[in-house]
Amino acid sequence: MHQRPPIWRNVAVLKWLAQFAVLFTVLGLFWLLASEAQENLQRRGIPAGYNWLSGPANFQLGEGIQTVDSPERRLTMSRALWVGMVNTLRVAAIGIVLSTILGVFIGVSRLSKNFIANRFASAFVETMRNIPLLVQILFWFVILGSLAPLAADSGPIPGWLIVSQKGISIPRVFLADGFYQFVAMLVVFAVPLWFIRRTLKRRQDDLGGNQRVTSTTVAYLSVSTLVAWFLNPVMGFLGGVLDSVATAWNAIPAQIIRGLFGVLIIWFAGARIRSLLNSRRTPVGFAKLTDNDWFQMLFTAFAAGVAALVVVRFRPGITTWFVESVGNFWSFLGAKFGDGRGAQPIDAMLPTLTEGRFINISNTGLTMSVFFASLLFGLVFYTSSYIAEVVRGGILAVPRGQSEAALALGFTRGQMLRKVVLPQAFRVIMPPLGNQYLNITKNTSLGIAVGFSEIVQVGQTVYNKNSQTLAVFSIYIAFFLLCSLSISAVVNTINRRLAIVER
Amino acid sequence: MTTVINANVSSQKSWFKWVRDNLFSSVAGTIQTFAFAALVVVVLRWLLGVAFAEKNDWTAVATNMRLLVSYNYPLSQFIRIWVAAGVLLVCAAASLGAWRFDPALTVKRMARTFYSVAVVAALCALLMPSSAPGVLVRTLWLVSTVLAIAGFAASAVASKRNNLTVSFGALLTSSVVGLLAILWFVPFGNYGVVGGSPFANPGDTVARSTKEPWTVIFTLVLFTFWASRALGTKTVAIVRSALLAFWLVGPAFLIFVVLRDPAFDWQRVWAVDVPLAAGFAFGGGLLVYLLAKPTRSSLARLVGVALSAFAILNWVAGFFGWYGMLQKVRISMLLLAILVLILPAFAGSQSKRLRIAVAWGGFILVLHWLITAINTPSTLVISAPPFLGGFTLTFAISYYVVLASFPLGVLLALARTSDLPLFRMMSTAYIEVFRGVPLITILFLFTVMLPLFLPRGMAVSDLAAVFAGYSIFSAAYLAENVRGGLQSVRQGQYEAANALGLTVFQRTLLIVLPQGLRVSIPNLVGQGIATLKETSLIAIIGGFDLLRIANSTIPNQPQFLGQKRPGLLFIAMVYFILAYTMSKSSQRLERRLDAGRM
Repeated sequence: MHQRPPIWRNVAVLKWLAQFAVLFTVLGLFWLLASEAQENLQRRGIPAGYNWLSGPANFQLGEGIQTVDSPERRLTMSRALWVGMVNTLRVAAIGIVLSTILGVFIGVSRLSKNFIANRFASAFVETMRNIPLLVQILFWFVILGSLAPLAADSGPIPGWLIVSQKGISIPRVFLADGFYQFVAMLVVFAVPLWFIRRTLKRRQDDLGGNQRVTSTTVAYLSVSTLVAWFLNPVMGFLGGVLDSVATAWNAIPAQIIRGLFGVLIIWFAGARIRSLLNSRRTPVGFAKLTDNDWFQMLFTAFAAGVAALVVVRFRPGITTWFVESVGNFWSFLGAKFGDGRGAQPIDAMLPTLTEGRFINISNTGLTMSVFFASLLFGLVFYTSSYIAEVVRGGILAVPRGQSEAALALGFTRGQMLRKVVLPQAFRVIMPPLGNQYLNITKNTSLGIAVGFSEIVQVGQTVYNKNSQTLAVFSIYIAFFLLCSLSISAVVNTINRRLAIVER
Repeated sequence: MTTVINANVSSQKSWFKWVRDNLFSSVAGTIQTFAFAALVVVVLRWLLGVAFAEKNDWTAVATNMRLLVSYNYPLSQFIRIWVAAGVLLVCAAASLGAWRFDPALTVKRMARTFYSVAVVAALCALLMPSSAPGVLVRTLWLVSTVLAIAGFAASAVASKRNNLTVSFGALLTSSVVGLLAILWFVPFGNYGVVGGSPFANPGDTVARSTKEPWTVIFTLVLFTFWASRALGTKTVAIVRSALLAFWLVGPAFLIFVVLRDPAFDWQRVWAVDVPLAAGFAFGGGLLVYLLAKPTRSSLARLVGVALSAFAILNWVAGFFGWYGMLQKVRISMLLLAILVLILPAFAGSQSKRLRIAVAWGGFILVLHWLITAINTPSTLVISAPPFLGGFTLTFAISYYVVLASFPLGVLLALARTSDLPLFRMMSTAYIEVFRGVPLITILFLFTVMLPLFLPRGMAVSDLAAVFAGYSIFSAAYLAENVRGGLQSVRQGQYEAANALGLTVFQRTLLIVLPQGLRVSIPNLVGQGIATLKETSLIAIIGGFDLLRIANSTIPNQPQFLGQKRPGLLFIAMVYFILAYTMSKSSQRLERRLDAGRM
């Protein structure tokens, strides 16, 4: 039994001391900066906090779900920022879809044996990824800006596809009133499908031969879609159910939820400590805990205690906010259902031109403004070159023996691709692909260079108006972190499902 | 290697067979060939149409070339830019020669390159819109014919002797001579701005003020290349270490040469800066030398604690304004304190102590010079708009950002892979937050908000704010790249280091970092390329970088109103050439590193 070293030479103590020293230095620095900022703000007469969010915006937006202030629909600051966020998400979503399609096409072409195809794909990739995105966006802006002005007979296909300086217009397909009921009905229909597929797959495994799993699924789905399309008002009763769920939720006193949160935090910390203790259990008994282990347990317990106290005692607003938003969510869902809503799930409208001296495009169609289009084109072409490389790398990462083995087993080329190569390539492709999706979302912020009203541009307009830089930047950071967290959550889920199950 | 062999085999097949196998192997293949051929024609035709439309005025770029390179830099001081560019190129040539850079360029591959360029040139000439200048089309045809003949000759020679190669030196010499000949004899036209009004001499060759410096630089480049190749084994080792030292600090020094105020205050430098640097270098060196003895480790700890207390006090005092002190004294004091604190880990024999002391001295000298260079009222005093801009700004920002974010990124990566939970948490939070938000918000944050956070009376220029924000942002990405490298270091290496009794510092510095960084070099080059490309965002903040000049400065000139396309296409080409060269060389490097690994 060796002697314990004195406390000032104990490595565990020193390590933790150093860590806490750095942590407190960093926190202290933050505190210093924050207090300095607060003082500076006060001196300039800028109120702290977020109260300005509910004030009127006093400016117009370029485009989005709401652009101007009107008596029936006020454009508050928060509403303007929300419009910016929706614009960002719109560009990001469309960009993700288009650049995936283009990127996969280019990536596969680059692997093609055809000389012209792979040279074209290589040239595309090298050109697009070596020219800065911002240069590309501005290039598209210049190109689209020199399109022909809008006229009564504009467009490659007048009435359907109109390309002009005002933007690119296509027919608008939108979710009509019956959509939510339609989706609910499809979900109901999906339950038997799951059982049918399971039975058929089992039979396929037992008996062999073709038990028509795919064709049965397709037939079932098309029939149920058809039925749901016409019979969806049946699901109207869900509205009442959801409303009563909302009432029931709101009836729970906030104290109970608050207590539950506290218990949850403590329980979580307890689980961590227990798992640590379990990891120290050996077949012969409990291992001696090191000082480091004690520190870790103490720190976990301390942090959990602080968090629980904050939630329960010092910041009751967190729980109240949570309770309110969940309740609102239920009643929001309830309003989406309900009797008497139109039966049609999806509807469409053609783009039309306004009459008068200055021809304009009315918003019956879906119009992509020049700003939107140049940002989108830049993003899609730039990112698809990266996605192409990701796809190519993923396919090349599948060992050649796999495809040879599949062919030797008598798979057709299509089966080989679908069942052997692509699933394995997908595993390699997915994580970097998720990264590219994140990049698209972040790069929408370059829309500011062409004056597209995305979140950063709207935020800039806001803080130029009211000097609330600190608050606006906190909103930026929260928004983009939320986006990246949700994208990486989706990618991680898919990844986990695709991962090879190790025996 | 296998791909090269395959390529050789396939090129030996006859022409006809190649076309059949690669383009018309099956019905689907034939359809694919025609579809992609049509796509190529359409895209190329459209691009050429965009580039050479009737309303495009390419003299906008030619006239503003000086603006694009160095913005408002005064003509009288232009020699500094030439010197800086010349030194950079000459040192690059010297490095190529000293490291015996000689890739195997087979004549066969050259023939293929000639053929493909000839085909592309002929395609461009064919698809040129009618508004393109006739001389351009004729030149393209000429280039295509000459290259086709050259390709034919090369492949004829290569078919006789299969492994015929061309040495890099010969290639460099011939291309430099060719470039000079083009510079002196091809009438590109002489464009420029004199006294605010543009002039154009279309039939002329390039201005003498351009081609003379280039001739001198290129001659020196050739000379240094061949001279450094001819060096003996002993001298070449010295030259190599000198060149390494140059690449570490040289570009920073050259940027300083370019930016220095003509009325530079040498007196203050001699009176304050030099004594300070010398004091810290020698005093600190002596202290380090004395304390690095293994028997004095407890004394070193004591001194280290005392010094760090004093250094921290200096910073706190600076923040609250208790007493004044030069910032670089604070920085050097803190660095010295940290070094003394970790000194016992490096204690050793006399020669080792001497080396540590000398390293400290050299480091302090460079650091002090850098701080002086940054802090001198350097930028040339010019009325009206900021003078730093164009390619110089792009280069300076990306160079300094890479330089500054490297140590920070390595530190973050180490913290993220360490087994100290709080360090890991902090570094993870830093990395994820900065990687989660777009660069432009960070740049806005630093330009708009930095004044808010700073104590009263302290101010930072916009450029410095951009530089700080960009470095902090870039460090997060760099940390992830370095982390990948660090994780590839095998566990056995750690265990071996522990078994040898190395301390944590020694293990990290001597075992883990060298191996981890080596693996992450290709990714780091990729990060450098991304940094270069993203400097274009400075245009949004208001800096006069390449993009801003092409997109708003030139189109606002009364002679070239609205001429955005030529400028944008031109800078796209500049960025492309830079980034493409870098990525190709990083791929070469990757292959070489791969070959070296077991």
